[in-house]
Amino acid sequence: MTMTNRVIEEFKAEFKSVDITEVPYDKQGYHLSIEARTGNLLGVVDFLDKREFYIVDLFCVDYQDCLELVYFFNTHRELCRIKVALKLDPGKPVAPTISNIYTIARWYEREVHEFFGVYFEGHPNLTYLFLHEEIGHYPLRKQHVPVPDGDKKLLNSFRPHEEENSFFINLGPQHPSTHGVLRVVLKMDGEYLISAEPVLGYLHRMHEKMAENKSYMQFLPNPARMDYPGALLFNLAYVEAVEKLCGIEVPERAKYIRTITCELNRIASHLLWLGAFPADLGALTPFMYAFDDRENILDILEDVTGSRLTYCYFRFGGLYNDINEETFVDATRRFIERMRERLVMYDKLITGNVIFINRVKNIGILEQGQAKKYGFSGPVIRSTGIPFDMRKVEPYAAYGSIDFEIPTGHIGDNMDRYMVRMKEIEISLNIIEEGIKRLPSGPFKTEKVPKKLKPPKGDIYNAVESTRGETGVYIVSDESDTPYRMRWRVPSYSNLMTFPHLSRGVLIADAIATLGSYDIVVPEIDR
Amino acid sequence: MCDTINNIINIVGKEVIRTVIGLVGVFIVVLGNAIMLTWTERKVAGHIQRRIGPKEVGPFGLLQSFADSVKLLGKELLTPANVEKPLYFLAPTLIFVPVLVTFVVIPFDGFLQVKDINTGILVILAFSSLTVLSILIGGWGSDNKYSLIGAVRSVAQNIAYEIPLLLSLLPIIFMANSFSLRDVVEAQKGLWFVVYQPIAFLIFFISSVAETNRTPFDLPEAESELVAGFHTEYSGMRFSLFFLAEYTNMFIVSAIAVTFFLGGYQGPILPGVVWFFIKTYLLVFVLLWFRWTFPRVRFDQLLNFSWKILIPVSFLNLLVTGGILKL
Repeated sequence: MTMTNRVIEEFKAEFKSVDITEVPYDKQGYHLSIEARTGNLLGVVDFLDKREFYIVDLFCVDYQDCLELVYFFNTHRELCRIKVALKLDPGKPVAPTISNIYTIARWYEREVHEFFGVYFEGHPNLTYLFLHEEIGHYPLRKQHVPVPDGDKKLLNSFRPHEEENSFFINLGPQHPSTHGVLRVVLKMDGEYLISAEPVLGYLHRMHEKMAENKSYMQFLPNPARMDYPGALLFNLAYVEAVEKLCGIEVPERAKYIRTITCELNRIASHLLWLGAFPADLGALTPFMYAFDDRENILDILEDVTGSRLTYCYFRFGGLYNDINEETFVDATRRFIERMRERLVMYDKLITGNVIFINRVKNIGILEQGQAKKYGFSGPVIRSTGIPFDMRKVEPYAAYGSIDFEIPTGHIGDNMDRYMVRMKEIEISLNIIEEGIKRLPSGPFKTEKVPKKLKPPKGDIYNAVESTRGETGVYIVSDESDTPYRMRWRVPSYSNLMTFPHLSRGVLIADAIATLGSYDIVVPEIDR
Repeated sequence: MCDTINNIINIVGKEVIRTVIGLVGVFIVVLGNAIMLTWTERKVAGHIQRRIGPKEVGPFGLLQSFADSVKLLGKELLTPANVEKPLYFLAPTLIFVPVLVTFVVIPFDGFLQVKDINTGILVILAFSSLTVLSILIGGWGSDNKYSLIGAVRSVAQNIAYEIPLLLSLLPIIFMANSFSLRDVVEAQKGLWFVVYQPIAFLIFFISSVAETNRTPFDLPEAESELVAGFHTEYSGMRFSLFFLAEYTNMFIVSAIAVTFFLGGYQGPILPGVVWFFIKTYLLVFVLLWFRWTFPRVRFDQLLNFSWKILIPVSFLNLLVTGGILKL
């Protein structure tokens, strides 16, 4: 019996009055839909928590006649995506908090609160997370809803509560090791951290609102601006979601080229991290070496896509243009050869260094049990020993036909996260090599795609494995040429939120090493 | 004319004239060294990182440091609002005093020494600990939390590493039977002390890396943790004074290592002063090499290394040396 059927059976036995329906997975990207009510939401969430479901995402959709809170759940063992919907009265939206069950909801709920004005009863700290203090309305509501006075006090996100003997440090928004404009408020006891609280929103551009005002085609370049080191993967997540929504077929050749270029992009992103992580530990030289290698990939991708960083290469139903079989394949083969030699060199330069090992081993240990509470993904979850990878769990593009292994760590410390990423570079090289070998000939795009897309009414959740983990996009279509609502589930968000938990009582140097090992990208968190 | 000069010399005394000329010479060496070293550091870093480093200003970019100095001199001296003004202004100047004084006792050659004091090594050790005082007041006076942490780190680090530094030099003093630096060098006529005392040399060199706040022990200014540590709030010429002091300190610790372990100015064929500079800059190069290769150690690791390994080992080394010499 599959996971889905088992869940339906157990759910029906436990909740008599709650609707659970099976939805066409091919069309909507999730298996089950549950209509919860304010009274029984906690029960439903608790039911899923007991069955080892992790929380994928929590957000809200404004349907004008009601506000729908959407909770996405999935398991790490088997793909079984469940959407729990909770309809709220738009006049007075109040929902119970689930942050006692799933810790990450603490931040998701703050986000929903500031963008939709939904109140969460029992939430420990319902302050604003992203928005500026002068904003006077709830931006993602369809109608203008002014922020009430009570809420205005909660704006201005985070002011440390000063006490006697408390020593606060603002790590960021301008700090060499926060990789962008992340601000973390550290409460310190000498060199030791008592607590850490991330403050977001310094790079907030409201891509989700932008999407509601642009046609599907016009929004294409935007995803690349969220995760700039891994732009193609975000591009792919969006393109595939729209393709599934409209039922556009993609030729085999395009699928393979997508896979190859995405893996190249993944290596480029990992190399960026490989430069930055030792720099966080004080070694500046690997940075130059990694960038030297990265340059090769950028050259290859520039040749194909026309840009070097924020790619916008994939189109609905295919690609922007075909690859040049000779130059691209040659350059890629040469790169693979070179990179394999360089990996040996990196091993000598970084991995074997005694100071490096002492700085990262047994530091920042994430337990497997935490994975469910936070929903972190990507190399961070694989370092704890859970082989969870969207490329395997839910094969997209040509990943289904290429065989590859998933590297995992043992205890989930910084060293494991480092090793997992290094092995991923190796495996990506294998995937590229295999992909080039099997590259079919044929058209690179479908001809029948209309210029103005008007997808049928419905919603879709589509996830890919970006360089940092599970990247999902949820689109609600109302048959117009612009999305009714678009939601991005970004991996860095849930990865970062484990930082307050990990940094309790550690040295500031270790906290920075841990932050570096996450490989967070702030524009992706802020969106 | 000649009479006038003779009169002046008679009035002020030959020693004073010698010292004044020596100090001027020291100043030239300090500045020349700092300018040379900034260029060398950038070139070495460049080549280690598969770049070429500065190359535009002058031949091989040799004039880059001059261009940089002019830029730094031309910068506005920013003073943040809440600093402790006396301390804040004093720190960059104060960091330079011990640096200059230490140079007085270093024998560059048999005759080339500003003043041979018979407690020379004590002068060096006493004044080199003064550096940390200026880092402390600079960090404290800046009214910046990062600076404060950097300053506090620096104090703990210097206390921890001064002890093995001293303990590794004591066996040499036993063997040379003198505190004077020239006597130490003269005692190495036959074999260099590094042959007799390899452990002491290693301990001295490691401790001196920590004393000069260089990677892997650059915790007071750890840029990925503390932005820039104790000199976060300093800009323009004040900032460059800190850097001048750092480069001079690198030269000094290498010069002391050369004097005590590598035979000082002694060497065949070439004049002594050339040998002295060759040996010193070789050690300086090793310091640069360290910086561009190693990550930074953590603070507790740094202290543990000193208190649990370096200090016991150097004590043991001292006891063994003393025992053998007594026999």
